[in-house]
Amino acid sequence: MERAAAYWRQAPGAFRIGAVILAIHLTLALLGWIWTPYDYTARVGIPLSGMSWEHLFGVDQNARDIFSRVLYGGHIVILLAVSGTLLGVLVGATLGLTSGYLGGWLDEVVMRLFDAFNSIPFLVLGLLASAVAGPVASGNPLLLVGVVALVYAPRVGRIARSAAQNIATQDYVLIARLRREGVGSVVRREILPNCSGPLLVEFALRAGYAPVLIGSLGFLGFGVRAPLPEWGRMIAENRNLIFTTPEALLAPGIALATLVVGLNLFTDGVARLIGRSSVHENG
Amino acid sequence: MAQSEALSSGGEPLVAIRDLGLAYHQNQQLNDVLHHVSMDIKAGEIVGLVGESGCGKSSLSLLLLGFRHPAARIRSGEIRFKGQDLLTLPNREITRLRGNKIGFVPQNPTTALNPGMRVGAQIAEALTVHGKARGGEALRRRIVELFENVGLPEPRTLLRRYPHELSGGQQQRVTIAMALACGPDLLVLDEPTTGLDVTTQEQIILLLKSLRAQYGMAMLYVTHDLGVLAEIADRISVMYAGHLVEAAPTEALFAYPRHPYTRGLIGSIPRIDGSRAREGRLTGYLDRREIPPGCPFQPRCPLADEHCPVESQYLSGIAENHAVACRNWQEVTPLSFDDGELSRPERAAASESLLEVSNLTLRYDGGGLMVRLGLAAELPAVVREASFEIDAAEVVALVGESGSGKSTIARAISGLLEPAEGEIRFHGAPLQKKIDDRPKQLVSKIQFIFQNPDASLNPRQSVGRSLARPIEVFFGRGRSEAGELVAKALEEVMLSSDYARRYPDQLSGGERQRIAIARALVAEPDLLLCDEVLSALDVSVQANVLDLLERLRSETSVAMLFISHDLAVVRRLADRVCVLYHGQMMEQGRVAAVFAPPYHPYTLTLLMSVPGSPLRKTTIEPAAREERKPEPQGCAFAGRCPWQPDERCYDQPPPLHRTEGGLAIRCHLPLDDLMRIGLEAEENAPSAAQERKAGNLP
Repeated sequence: MERAAAYWRQAPGAFRIGAVILAIHLTLALLGWIWTPYDYTARVGIPLSGMSWEHLFGVDQNARDIFSRVLYGGHIVILLAVSGTLLGVLVGATLGLTSGYLGGWLDEVVMRLFDAFNSIPFLVLGLLASAVAGPVASGNPLLLVGVVALVYAPRVGRIARSAAQNIATQDYVLIARLRREGVGSVVRREILPNCSGPLLVEFALRAGYAPVLIGSLGFLGFGVRAPLPEWGRMIAENRNLIFTTPEALLAPGIALATLVVGLNLFTDGVARLIGRSSVHENG
Repeated sequence: MAQSEALSSGGEPLVAIRDLGLAYHQNQQLNDVLHHVSMDIKAGEIVGLVGESGCGKSSLSLLLLGFRHPAARIRSGEIRFKGQDLLTLPNREITRLRGNKIGFVPQNPTTALNPGMRVGAQIAEALTVHGKARGGEALRRRIVELFENVGLPEPRTLLRRYPHELSGGQQQRVTIAMALACGPDLLVLDEPTTGLDVTTQEQIILLLKSLRAQYGMAMLYVTHDLGVLAEIADRISVMYAGHLVEAAPTEALFAYPRHPYTRGLIGSIPRIDGSRAREGRLTGYLDRREIPPGCPFQPRCPLADEHCPVESQYLSGIAENHAVACRNWQEVTPLSFDDGELSRPERAAASESLLEVSNLTLRYDGGGLMVRLGLAAELPAVVREASFEIDAAEVVALVGESGSGKSTIARAISGLLEPAEGEIRFHGAPLQKKIDDRPKQLVSKIQFIFQNPDASLNPRQSVGRSLARPIEVFFGRGRSEAGELVAKALEEVMLSSDYARRYPDQLSGGERQRIAIARALVAEPDLLLCDEVLSALDVSVQANVLDLLERLRSETSVAMLFISHDLAVVRRLADRVCVLYHGQMMEQGRVAAVFAPPYHPYTLTLLMSVPGSPLRKTTIEPAAREERKPEPQGCAFAGRCPWQPDERCYDQPPPLHRTEGGLAIRCHLPLDDLMRIGLEAEENAPSAAQERKAGNLP
């Protein structure tokens, strides 16, 4: 606890602002259902009747309360972003660490594969993946998690590989090899614990951008299926109302923007703290 | 030394450090690194500053150069250079002095020289910055002159080379030339020979001595190696935990060390005749995080009494030029030494052969597929047709300078590197070339210990985990059972069982190396491959680990392949010695035979280069020869050998001579000649006993 307090005092101001924004978002996402006045699918008001005390952000074309939908959408976005990033880091780290440790032709093949994926813009890659998955799978939240992972895994993999390459030449890895330990065992016991710093930073930074990726896919209609109130999808649904009831798309827009800004400030600070502490440990 | 006394008599000293206190700002607090340090450097004098890693000697030398680290805070005192206080001088003035009146020779010339710039241009830069030359022919002449002064061959062509095209010794000569360029009054040398081979180190020391005689500049020689200072310094200051504990003229310091730390330091140095101090060697280590109040050495001091933890002690004069910071200095007795290998029981020869290496040729895989397709040339062999044996429970040393292929041989035995040719037999059966082809129980029988203890332990694993892992892998024991064995293994290396919970960053270098040894021992090996296991350690720590290895040698039946460049340690520990040069086995035999005539010319060269060796003072000038590389089948030492008989050394394989003492020497010279050369060298040298009496030997 004392250490946490010390970290808080040392942390840069941007990190603290980010942490506060993120804390608000998390609280809303976790506890929002308690005070959402209405269900996110319920038809409760007169469509497009504007802001009122009953409907803080107004009512959309389908007579649903926008405030309730935005609140409910929070946990969907955060859940998808975090689990997608987690899967991406998991896959990328496994491939990257293994190929960095083994080297040789396997390393070449994996790296060229990563390069190929990295050369495709992430939105195009996401659209491609959704299209390939077909109409049955499209709209499934699991597909979205998979798409985020597919976009991030090669990027994380590159970082993991270069970290593993530095560790692989250390004498303690040689000692493990001299015990005839298997690849999995060496990667898990010797290499992964010593690469945890860069991998955590990577997770934090990627998680910060994941809501943008999910929102973009949702906006283009490749996100979750209606009527789930994912923010990107809500912006798309309500975009023709921009002149009549702008709050209908401003509300999810502002929610998404603050979440991304908060996440980025926070993860940037985390990355710096991890970087600083690892430097400190070595010194 | 007479010359320096003449120079130093009277007048204000060139450098006067008075009551200097320095602290570094770390983790929001000030950590003191120098405490009330006072010392003088007179014009033309070579002062040695010696201490173990982290004692603050480098911080002092950097201050002397006028570098002010952003985290450094001066607590007290001043450094006067020719009357100016370097600590208060404006930066502009300091820049004018540094490189001009105060020169610096760094430890590692490879990183000190700019790799992208020709060496001549780097010297030119030093000269023009201080306005000593304008450019053109005059500048060029000056650089050539400097290169000639530091003994670089063919200076005119050399100045157009890049640093990577020069050898380590040549690079260090370039940095010395750079330091000399502006004709400084003071040269600060920070471990200038530490990374170099002994033969190169000897040449650099000779060069520094001749430069002092020629230019009469003063030097501050900072090092951890007392043996080197015995060769070059007029006076020595000993530093411990930021305190100067003793300052004395070199002879007096070695003959009558008055501080217990100095005495322990001298007693801990492995001596080339294999002898060791009977008592007074250093124990424990300095924990920089917990420097005790009062005298910093008191927890490790055999003479400490109840006043020592209370009273701070600073240098005070006890004789002319001799100052010591110890209240009990009168109780410090002179060192006495045992008889080295003579005191060691000779072990019964050849019990049972454990490892046989025959005609081993090793090369690193350069082009891979390209070589197989004939598109690229094969890399030259690192080791050529090496053969030797290790008997059960025997310690065999592989000796040689860097690049001689000794570590490569160990890698081949361990299975990390596939031999190109030749065979390795273990317990009579051929050993599989690759580690992955060897059965687990065989893998456990050969254990490797690396040079650098910092890199050989996983920083994210507790000591207990590191030690338990081999037990789990080799013997399939569970964690609870492993726990007992771990405690036993820790006891074996003289560490208490609560070390199992610690992490590597909580340990000192010596403790880490002991853990690495314990990890190798839990596998219950028959053969330990020890690759330079002492060379990364401080002198006092080295002595402790050496004690541990000696105990293993006498109490267990494990055999060792002990790889080292340190002849003194080898003489102490090994039963047999193999001398390697550029991948060729030059000589092998029992310790007593290798360290007595007839010597192989290379072994003799090594022995003549080691500081403190009885053969040290003989000067047999190597015959001047043209730079010619020997053919692969010729003798690898050809071209560097002072006694080389003729041209056949370059292109014919040297014949093998065997003496009655079981010594095998590969040389074109007949045995009688080698015997004569060895005896002559010993006659020319003052005997070791006389040397010690004169105080020239550590």
